[in-house]
Amino acid sequence: MELLCCEVDPVRRAVPDPNLLYDDRILQNLLTIEERYLPQCSYFKCVQKDIQPYMRRMVATWMLEVCEEQKCEEEVFPLAMNYLDRFLAGVPTPKSHLQLLGAVCMFLASKLKETIPLTAEKLCIYTDNSIKPQELLEWELVVLGKLKWNLAAVTPHDFIEHILRKLPQPREKLPLIRKHAQTFIALCATDFKFAMYPPSMIATGSVGAAICGLQQDEDVSSLTGDALTDLLAKITNTDVDCLKACQEQIEAVLLNSLQQFRQDQRDGGKSEDELDQASTPTDVRDIDL
Amino acid sequence: MSEPSGDTAQIPCSSKVCRRLFGPVDEEQLRRDCDALMADCLQEARARWNFDFVTETPLEGNYVWERVQGLGLPKFYLPAGPRGAWDDLGGGKRPCTSTVLLQGTAQGDHVDLSLSCTVVPRSPERPEVSPGGPGARQGRKRGQTSMTDFYHSKRRLVFSKRKP
Repeated sequence: MELLCCEVDPVRRAVPDPNLLYDDRILQNLLTIEERYLPQCSYFKCVQKDIQPYMRRMVATWMLEVCEEQKCEEEVFPLAMNYLDRFLAGVPTPKSHLQLLGAVCMFLASKLKETIPLTAEKLCIYTDNSIKPQELLEWELVVLGKLKWNLAAVTPHDFIEHILRKLPQPREKLPLIRKHAQTFIALCATDFKFAMYPPSMIATGSVGAAICGLQQDEDVSSLTGDALTDLLAKITNTDVDCLKACQEQIEAVLLNSLQQFRQDQRDGGKSEDELDQASTPTDVRDIDL
Repeated sequence: MSEPSGDTAQIPCSSKVCRRLFGPVDEEQLRRDCDALMADCLQEARARWNFDFVTETPLEGNYVWERVQGLGLPKFYLPAGPRGAWDDLGGGKRPCTSTVLLQGTAQGDHVDLSLSCTVVPRSPERPEVSPGGPGARQGRKRGQTSMTDFYHSKRRLVFSKRKP
């Protein structure tokens, strides 16, 4: 008897809905409502006393690693960071609560975006059992309350398809551009500089940075330079100079991360504690420069 | 989730990702802060909805609250266990928080969406909100924006079930 063994991806995804992606009203609505979900202030200056910017980077890096190891949907990490920033913009928090908060935000974002969400138990293990599932569930309600249950925040990912379909790229190049843009978005979410930027700008800048980066190795675009920036800016109604500045910042963050990563590789034998400080999203290695 | 007992076993404890970032967590402080923030949320909700979520009693204000029974909700949405009965006012595990807000969280990963009261705004602007009930009585006009961003899903749940 012959046996056939098929591996079936347990995660079921809906097919892209052209009614949502090819309708300009959707893009316009996203642009109209995106500002509602930005953090209310630059909280390191006006709210937080204990938490420093490098701590946000630490917790963000950890969250990204958890999301990658658990193969979460791409949107989960940026959405979780949006929750974290919005919570921290309103509630002074001691640093000892920060990892719990990060776990809660991943828990919520995963439930909103995934078919099979992360469990509380898993997340607690990732904190090296420094928190208990019960605490996670209780803080989930606190975060929900403070976010006023507004969880369906607009993220840069919401804009990617809308932008890509308006670019004159050959279709076969799109998956690579999309993948690189997604990596840039994750990179932006780890850096507080971008926390107050509208998601549409981060998305537009990330697509621009992805195309520019890829263009160095292969011909992915007939449009380059200023012509590309102008078109991108028009698609999301972004100011051209702002977009240029944003894209430059994104590229600088990538460069910084790559240097950090190489540094880490050189200092391979350093202690666990120092490794914890590393701020390199692992995915950056996938980008060819 | 399909095999809840097995999924945690897949994470090796030595995984580099399993780590505590900021040293020991003070459980006592965590509990105190949680209670304080939760009380904060309840106070905010109380002022906003003129409803005391701890004792589950309506207060004077912009909204008229009425108790609804037998909505025909699927069991999933009903609070389970001894503390879930409709009349078990404020009978949660922790007395400082409302059952409306805390229902069923201990049972699983998911916050249950269930309400034991319906909020009926006095404004008749949105017909589906007051389908001929006592809430349709006239009152001062009030914008609906604040209605839609809190308990949004709950309200939808309740009202969609009320339609014939």
